[in-house]
Amino acid sequence: MDSNKKYWKGLEELNSEPEFVEKNKHEFAEPIPIEEVLSGNGLMAKTPRRDFLKALGFGVGAVTLAACQKVPVHKSIPYLIKPEEVTPGVANYYVSTYEGHAVLVKTREGRPIKIEGNPDDLLSKGGLSGQAQASVLDLYDNNRLKNPAQNGSDSTWNEIDAFVKSELAAIKAGGKKIRIVSSTVHSPSTLAVIADFIGQYPTTKHINYDAVSYTGIIQANQNSFGKAVLPHYRFDKADIIVSFGADFLGTWISPVEFTSQYVGNRNNKSLQNKKMSRHIQFETGMSLTGTNADVRIPVKPSEEGVALVNLYNQISGTTLPGTRKLNNVTADKALTIVAKELQAAKGKALVVSGSNDVATQVLVNAINSLLGSYGSTIDLDNYSNQYAGNDHDFTELVSEMNRGEVDAVLFLNTNPAYEYHNSGAIKDALKKVRLKISFSERNDETASLCNVNAPNHYYLEAWGDDNAIEGYYTIVQPTINPVYNTRQAEESLLVWSDNAVKEYYTYVRNNWDKSLLAKGGLSGQKGWETLLQTGFVKAGDKPAGSYSFSRDLNGVAQNILNQSKQLAASGDGKVELQLYQTVAIRDGKRANNPWLQEMPDPVSKVTWDNFAAMSPTDLNKYGFVQGDIINIDVNGYAVALPILSQPGQAQGTISVAVGYGRTQAGPVGDGVGKNAFPFLTFRNGTFQTTAVAAFSKTGEYPIVLAQTQTHHSFEGRNVIRETTFNEYLKNPASNSGKSEEHKKYDLFWQDYGIDNPQKQPYNWVMAIDLNACTGCGACVVACSAENNIPVVGRDEVRRRREMHWIRIDRYYSFNDKGREVTEEQEISTLEDLDHVSVVHQPMLCQHCDHAPCETVCPVLATVHSSDGLNHMAYNRCIGTRYCANNCPFKVRRFNWFNYWNDSRFDNYLINEHTHLVLNPDVTTRFRGVMEKCSMCIQRIQAGKLKAKIEKRPLKDGEIKVACQQTCPANAIVFGNRNDPDSEVSKALKSERTYYVLEELGVQPGIGYQVKVRNTSELEA
Amino acid sequence: MASHNESILREPLITGNDITYAKITNDVLHPVENMPTKAWWIGFTIASLGACLWVFAVSWTFWYGIGSWGLNKTVGWAWDITGFVWWVGIGHAGTLISAILLLFRQNWRNSINRSAEAMTIFAVICAATYIVAHMGRPWMAVYSLPFPNQYGSLWVNFNSPLIWDVFAISTYFSVSLVFWYTGLLPDLATIRDRATGLRRRIYSVLSFGWTGSVKTWQRFETVSLILAGISTPLVLSVHTIVSMDFATSLEPGWHTTIFPPYFVAGAIFSGFAMVQTLLLITRKVLGLENYITMFHIESMNKIILLTGSIVGVAYMTEFFIAYYSGGEYEQYTFLNRFIGPYWWAGCMMYGCNVLMTQLMWFKKVRTNIPISWVLSIVVNIGMWFERFVIIVTSLHRDFIPSSWAMFYPTWVDMSVFIGSIGVFFTLFLLFIRVFPSIAMAEVKLLLKSSSEQAKKKLLADGHLDPSHAEFYKESLTKFDSVELSEYEKI
Repeated sequence: MDSNKKYWKGLEELNSEPEFVEKNKHEFAEPIPIEEVLSGNGLMAKTPRRDFLKALGFGVGAVTLAACQKVPVHKSIPYLIKPEEVTPGVANYYVSTYEGHAVLVKTREGRPIKIEGNPDDLLSKGGLSGQAQASVLDLYDNNRLKNPAQNGSDSTWNEIDAFVKSELAAIKAGGKKIRIVSSTVHSPSTLAVIADFIGQYPTTKHINYDAVSYTGIIQANQNSFGKAVLPHYRFDKADIIVSFGADFLGTWISPVEFTSQYVGNRNNKSLQNKKMSRHIQFETGMSLTGTNADVRIPVKPSEEGVALVNLYNQISGTTLPGTRKLNNVTADKALTIVAKELQAAKGKALVVSGSNDVATQVLVNAINSLLGSYGSTIDLDNYSNQYAGNDHDFTELVSEMNRGEVDAVLFLNTNPAYEYHNSGAIKDALKKVRLKISFSERNDETASLCNVNAPNHYYLEAWGDDNAIEGYYTIVQPTINPVYNTRQAEESLLVWSDNAVKEYYTYVRNNWDKSLLAKGGLSGQKGWETLLQTGFVKAGDKPAGSYSFSRDLNGVAQNILNQSKQLAASGDGKVELQLYQTVAIRDGKRANNPWLQEMPDPVSKVTWDNFAAMSPTDLNKYGFVQGDIINIDVNGYAVALPILSQPGQAQGTISVAVGYGRTQAGPVGDGVGKNAFPFLTFRNGTFQTTAVAAFSKTGEYPIVLAQTQTHHSFEGRNVIRETTFNEYLKNPASNSGKSEEHKKYDLFWQDYGIDNPQKQPYNWVMAIDLNACTGCGACVVACSAENNIPVVGRDEVRRRREMHWIRIDRYYSFNDKGREVTEEQEISTLEDLDHVSVVHQPMLCQHCDHAPCETVCPVLATVHSSDGLNHMAYNRCIGTRYCANNCPFKVRRFNWFNYWNDSRFDNYLINEHTHLVLNPDVTTRFRGVMEKCSMCIQRIQAGKLKAKIEKRPLKDGEIKVACQQTCPANAIVFGNRNDPDSEVSKALKSERTYYVLEELGVQPGIGYQVKVRNTSELEA
Repeated sequence: MASHNESILREPLITGNDITYAKITNDVLHPVENMPTKAWWIGFTIASLGACLWVFAVSWTFWYGIGSWGLNKTVGWAWDITGFVWWVGIGHAGTLISAILLLFRQNWRNSINRSAEAMTIFAVICAATYIVAHMGRPWMAVYSLPFPNQYGSLWVNFNSPLIWDVFAISTYFSVSLVFWYTGLLPDLATIRDRATGLRRRIYSVLSFGWTGSVKTWQRFETVSLILAGISTPLVLSVHTIVSMDFATSLEPGWHTTIFPPYFVAGAIFSGFAMVQTLLLITRKVLGLENYITMFHIESMNKIILLTGSIVGVAYMTEFFIAYYSGGEYEQYTFLNRFIGPYWWAGCMMYGCNVLMTQLMWFKKVRTNIPISWVLSIVVNIGMWFERFVIIVTSLHRDFIPSSWAMFYPTWVDMSVFIGSIGVFFTLFLLFIRVFPSIAMAEVKLLLKSSSEQAKKKLLADGHLDPSHAEFYKESLTKFDSVELSEYEKI
């Protein structure tokens, strides 16, 4: 090709016109209108319409494109140096100890967000109480003391140390007494620190003082067997349990452990072995334990002692002097049968009493000795260290202080200004003490009376150890840097006593290296590391000796009967008062915890209050109704409390819970209920929980108690199915509805193969054993912690708007001459309301395979997953509430308000600091959307993911949902129904299994197992 | 239509002497073309105060959340859906009158259809506001529409009766509005022709250039018939679908196959009661007694009696089926209406709707204006309670007794409801100021055939069967607005 072709741009170029040639000489052929533009004319010139539209189009397009990319503002700061063990999004677990139980602390990005039971824990096998579950929230409580303080104003640790040391030195020089007052210390290292402190300051004495005391048992054992210890009770070894007012499943000594032991003889596994223990409860107020008893006999406090004397007589075949008949026909009859049954089960029987009276406990010891319980159901050698309080020591301390003999008193984890029955005396006595030091984490009733506040670390920030049961040593390790400027109490003691070791970690470590590690066969650094992974060491059990009782009982019986006489309320307007602890609040130390305040009491279902429980018969008698305010007066201390109509409450008695009426607990706990501690009386050397009270109706306007359940009978509906042990033995499917005719409906989702393991590997379901569930409510708190469930407060609970995803339904039924009465209309005609049986039923989303909620949602915000779950898409929900209306189980919860930023809800979600407890795997819900149990979908997903990463199939039991995990009774089994070997598949195949409202055809995914009552002979 | 002579046996639909087309126009347009009266101002002040209350209460709800209502975990709907169903039901009379009665050539509808249709539209507006207001997240209400989207093509749940509702109510509203407005066109043109200045311009826009030519009239008639045909199924379908909000659920007391016919009858029942409530006052205050005559009042009372009795039969059927089904939850729910904590609501429902309306069997009651008015209010109250009983009394005690709860309304609940009545009356009062409250054109059609004058002329002509004439005169004795002495002369 010829490459000499000339290309021309126009005829002007081709022809080389002179004008063109001239122009071409310049850089730009045509003049650029720069001057024109810059002079202003150009800028002012009209934009042509097309240009305008172009610019507009481009502008809109560009802005739209830019806006498509959402750029959220993250206020997070990435790790500059990533801690080795922290991977954002992955939880770390650390072993620790909560009140003697080995636990696991789940942390995310360095902050503890959940306490979980250590599955290897010897006491509870991985179960935890509601209190333990709620304890994580207290870590972030911003009402804790943030700095040490002296005389009420913030100080520094150096100043405090200098001051305390000089004071202590002066006191030591003056030879005046120093007292360390604590609730029972069962940490070996703490005890060693205190011993070292005493070594430095020999005038020091350590006094264990428990708000709810077990001195009676300890001294009775001292009297009877010369062993001043709290025995280790073994409910698992008992075929028959007779309890006189001991709420061992709810609050007595070690309820989580006892629940696990107790249920072992009553759950499905035990039933399949044709074995079920028998449990008879004599008690005043309806306790959690009473609700689970096979037979429950209401007795007044004044009758309890008489009943024990009679029981002793019948078992021993002798008659103690002064014995008199009970005025209570039912109890009398029951005692005769109980005595026979106990004798028949010698060596496998257990009698316990909740009394703190030494004489009563001595008599109980005598009965147990006759029954051969020592060495089998009662272990005095591997004893419990959980409570060691000595009531006498403390009252003695008060008088010592009053006499001006004490110059220094240190309060560790105790709050006598609130808990002591005569708090006025404490306040007066403390005025005479020169140095008052409180280690309290908050400025509570006692701390505010002290001149030095040396706030202790929270247990999640601290090193430590524990020894709840002899031979069982557990470790406490920090899971977060101290949130506030606090210091471990032990470290303070070490510093003040000029110990060679100033750091408590080293101290604990030394202590373990010295003796404790060896008990578990461990040693050295490796042993220590093993310990930090397992959480505990267990020394071999000492053989449990069989002790026999040989003391003279005449004086004891006399003492008991005299006390009974004094207690018997006589005259108008007098009742016998019984004090008890609620499962949620216990002794009130955690009163500032909103999860616990909102946890419904397992029996009364009341939240955010204590009350005067009275029998409905008494209410009729006096013309009271629930909510009326009565004044209760014992020896001049009086409180006004609302009445609760409590079926099963012994007539002529009132029960009031302690732990309420805090004045300096913090904004949540202050003013909730009334303080009942002052009703305790110091009798025969111990604090006693019974008294004679005068009561009268006040003119105050009745209030509505914030109950989460206001209808208490199940109306004969087969929502609840129960049978007796005898019937069960004849036919394991007794009353499970298996014999009733069923029409088999085609499953709506069958096409999707939910039931077909070939198509779907997973079908998540649950089995709940009604015979194992004690109703303790730990699952409710665990669920709240796991799923960021808002606390709504007393008013909203009154409006029936609590948000709990799982609830425990509690139903009363009445026994009318051998016939079970469950219908409201009929109950109102009954005269005898004493014979109550109770059933607890955990109720949560049933994840129906043919879910009524799903079909009615207009926007598909609630849909079914391929693995059998009912999902909630919060972002899609528009809040019509139709799903909740159409849910036959009424388990759906609506966000009525914006609980996490509505200032009217002063709960933990409002506070930026307590936000830190939120589980980052679970979204918080905005107002106007529905929520409900997700079967801990975040845990299911995490479990599936883990298995996938490890390229293996998911193992049964690998995923545990929060409620199941915490359940001390192991009543909840979760798993995959499409795996025929899974635990849940087996449980659901049990003949006791039934589905609530299965006749509706909704195909619930949760199977319940029929409640069995061992009421064979004793139909009282 | 109907320019032929009508049988003397039929009662006249327009009473009074010297009624001319011009007089009809003057009478009907009197409130539109003059300054409002004192009575109107008083009514409007009260109604708009109510509307303000509504705005306040609904804003409060939007600001704080549904929690400001008295609902709880057990009772998820109460006054909101009660109010919704109540308003939708009230709307039904308008559609029945405009559509079904048109198809059946019930000429008496001509005098009342305009107000009744207006009432329909305002009632549906009130109902629709409830749909949005009861949502937890009303700003996401658009999710209930099947619009194309990028969420992986996420549609609405066509299984959900609430979605059916969205379609039913929106269709209902649009068809009713078109029907109503079409009917208004000739009347708007009349106003236009008489108006001057700005009003004339406004009404000439509103009247879509109506010319009044034969062609226009012919098309007008055709469109009316077509729209009547479209609306007729709506009379039955809308409330059927509303009833399915309940009937397709599991809830005892809701899960009932009788609901569709029962709800439709109830809707017409309550709708006519509301028409009665409004028109008895309107005819008096606006001086329209000649056009809304005792015959109209009695006819509506008869429909109230009929539908009220259908509702009564439905109630009995429900009870029988509850007993006969043997379903314990169903049985308890129905027993609970009488012996439960809400027994008084049940008594209001059965008492007002069934017992009180049975009084209408008496002609004296049917033709007594004060009693009719009171009874229409009683029916409105009774029908509100019917929905309250169905919704709250069923929900508050259903399957699981542990969740049984009571519902206590808050001031917001009450304000939203009272406020919605205020909104309704505000709209209605504005309507009678700017639009003719009686369909003039349609009434004029009757003047030559069905009016009292026309009948008199027939009598005067004397070609009638004397027994028929006698019957006619006799039957007139019961009318308040006809002076019998006039007839003596003939």
